[in-house]
Amino acid sequence: MRVLHLSWEFPPRIIGGIASHVFDLSRALARRGIEVHAMTCNFLGAKEYENIDGVNVYRVESYAAGDSFLSWALRMQKNMERSGCDLINFIKGVDLIHAHDWLSGVAGIGLKNLYRKPLITTMHSTEYGRRIGIHNDLQASINEIESWLCRESWRIITCSYYMRNHVSWCLRVSENKICVVQNGVDVNKFSFGFNYWGVRNRFAHGSEKILLFVGRLVPEKGLDVLIEALPNILSNGIDAKIVAVGEGPQREEYQQMANQYGLANKILFVGHVDDWTLRALYRVADVTVVPSKFEPFGIVALEAMAARCPLVVCAVGGLNEIVDHEGTGLKVPVNNPDALAWAIVRIIRDVGFKDWIVSNAYQKCMWNYNWNNIADWTAGVYGAVLHEYYTGSWKPINKV
Amino acid sequence: MRVLILTSEYQPKRLGNISDHVSTLAHELVKRKHEVELVVLDDWRPGFEDVCGVHVHRVANPVKTHPMASVLTFAVTASLPIESEGANIVYFYKKLQKNTDVIHCHEWLMVYPAINLKHAFNIPFVLTFHSIEGHRCHDCFSPLSIAIKEIEDAGIWESNQVITNTEWLKNEVLRYYGSGHRGKINVVWPIGRDWVDDVVSVYRKVVEEP
Repeated sequence: MRVLHLSWEFPPRIIGGIASHVFDLSRALARRGIEVHAMTCNFLGAKEYENIDGVNVYRVESYAAGDSFLSWALRMQKNMERSGCDLINFIKGVDLIHAHDWLSGVAGIGLKNLYRKPLITTMHSTEYGRRIGIHNDLQASINEIESWLCRESWRIITCSYYMRNHVSWCLRVSENKICVVQNGVDVNKFSFGFNYWGVRNRFAHGSEKILLFVGRLVPEKGLDVLIEALPNILSNGIDAKIVAVGEGPQREEYQQMANQYGLANKILFVGHVDDWTLRALYRVADVTVVPSKFEPFGIVALEAMAARCPLVVCAVGGLNEIVDHEGTGLKVPVNNPDALAWAIVRIIRDVGFKDWIVSNAYQKCMWNYNWNNIADWTAGVYGAVLHEYYTGSWKPINKV
Repeated sequence: MRVLILTSEYQPKRLGNISDHVSTLAHELVKRKHEVELVVLDDWRPGFEDVCGVHVHRVANPVKTHPMASVLTFAVTASLPIESEGANIVYFYKKLQKNTDVIHCHEWLMVYPAINLKHAFNIPFVLTFHSIEGHRCHDCFSPLSIAIKEIEDAGIWESNQVITNTEWLKNEVLRYYGSGHRGKINVVWPIGRDWVDDVVSVYRKVVEEP
C-alpha cells in the first residue's frame, strides 16, 4: 500500500501539534510496512528530500507573497498540489491520499479529483472550535473550506469522540463518515537521565512548586483561568509558580493580568523551548495544568502522562476522554478557577494520591496511546476505504 | 482536435470582454469541426449545457465567503472545481479511448487549474492574456498584485504557447516577465471571425510538439 501524506508542517518546521502527529504516525505506518510519502512546506535548512526512518519526506516551495494568511495558505497548497502531481507521476501512482487539516486538505481535494484516488482527512481541529464561534469573514471562509473538505473526503479521522460529534454538527457531515483514531505518545522519549536540579533551577526557586502550562497563548487554551486560580493556591500556603511554555498573541494580556494580581514573579513566560527541555520540564514539574476551553485532543495531557507528571485538566473535548477523574488525573469544570485551585492543591498536598494517579496514567499511555496500535487502527481505516474504492465505480481509466 | 477551454466567464455570465471572446472562439471552433469542452466558473447556474455543439460545463465555487472580497482566495478556491471538472472530462474521453489534445486557458484566474491539469495528464496548455496585472493595478506593489504577478509569471513559464491580442501587449508581457519568452508568444488580433484559424494554428504548434 502506498500512501501520500500531506501536511503543512513537519519537523523541523513546527507550528502546532500537527507536525509531531504526522511525524510519529508516518513513521509508525512505515514500520508497519506501508510505503509512506509525506509532502510538506519547505523550511530554512531542511532538505528538499530525505528519508526519515522509512518515510519519504518531500519539502516543496511555499510562497511568501499574499495579502493574508488565507491566501498564502491556499497558494501554498496549489503549489503542493502541482508538486504532488509530479511526485505521483514519478512514483507511478499512489493508493490513498491522507491530508491533515484544511491547511493541506485543499491540495488533497485537487489531487483526489485529478488522480481519482480516495482522500482521507484527519481533522485535528476546526475553525469554529479554535475561535469559539465564527466571528468574521476570514473565519467563515475557513469554516466553509473545512466543510467542503469534509464533503470531498472519503473518510474523516478525528482524534476523539468529542471531535467526531463536533465535526459532524459544525461542518455538517454525517457521523457515519467519521472514524475516531486517537493520538499517540512515545513513552520511551520521556525516560532519559538528566540533572534534575540543573533543569529545575533554570525555571523556579528550590522552594517553588512548578505548575506547567504548555500551549499557544491564545484564548482557547485558557491560561487566564490558571492565572486567576493562582492567588487561591498561594493562600493555601503552597508556594507555586506557573511556567508557561509557548508563544501567542495573548502574551501581553496575560502578563498584565499577572501584574494586576501582583504575581508577576509567580509566572514565567518561557516562549518556545526545544524538545529536550520540554520533556525535562514535564519530568521536573509538580503538576501539569491544561485549563483549555476547547481541546480537540490534548496531546499535552498525553505527554504529561508519559513523563509521570500529575495532571489537572478541564473536562472538555478530548481531555474528557483521556483523563479519568481520580484515576489518571483530576478533571475540573471549564472556566472555573476555584475548582482548578482545589485540584492543584489536592495533588500537591496528597503525595500518595499523586503517586497512584501517576502510575495509572503511565500504564494507560503504554497500552492505549501507543503509536503501533494507532498505526494499526489507521491502517484499518485505509483498508476499509480501499475495499470500498475497489468495489465501487469511481476510478480512473487505466487503458487509454 | 479536442480543446478544453477554461474561462472565468461565458454567456450568459458577462463581466468583461472575455465572455464574448470565448463565445466566438468556441462556436467558430465547432464550425471548423473541432470538439470543444468549455469549463466556466458560474456560481448561479452550475451544470452541463450543450450550446450549439459547445459542451459547456458550468461549475460553482464551493467557498462563497471571501475575507475583504479577496480575489486571490476566490481564484484559488474556484480553481479546484474547475480542475476537477476538467479531470472528469479527460477521464470521460479516456474511457471512450479518445484524447484531450489541448487546454486553452484565459487570464491568470485559470492559470492554476491549467498548470495542474497539465502536470497530471501531460496535456499541453495555451494561455491567452487579455490584459496583465501590471497595467490593471498601475504598477502598484501591494501584496495582492505581487501575488497575481507571480501567478501570471508561473502561467507564462508553464504554458506551451502564449497568445496576446496585440503586438503592444506582447511587448508589455516581455517587458514584465522577461524577453526570454519571446519565442512562445503569438499575436492573434481578435477582430472578425478568421482569427480563430490563427488560434488553431497555435494549437497545432503545441499538439505537434514531441
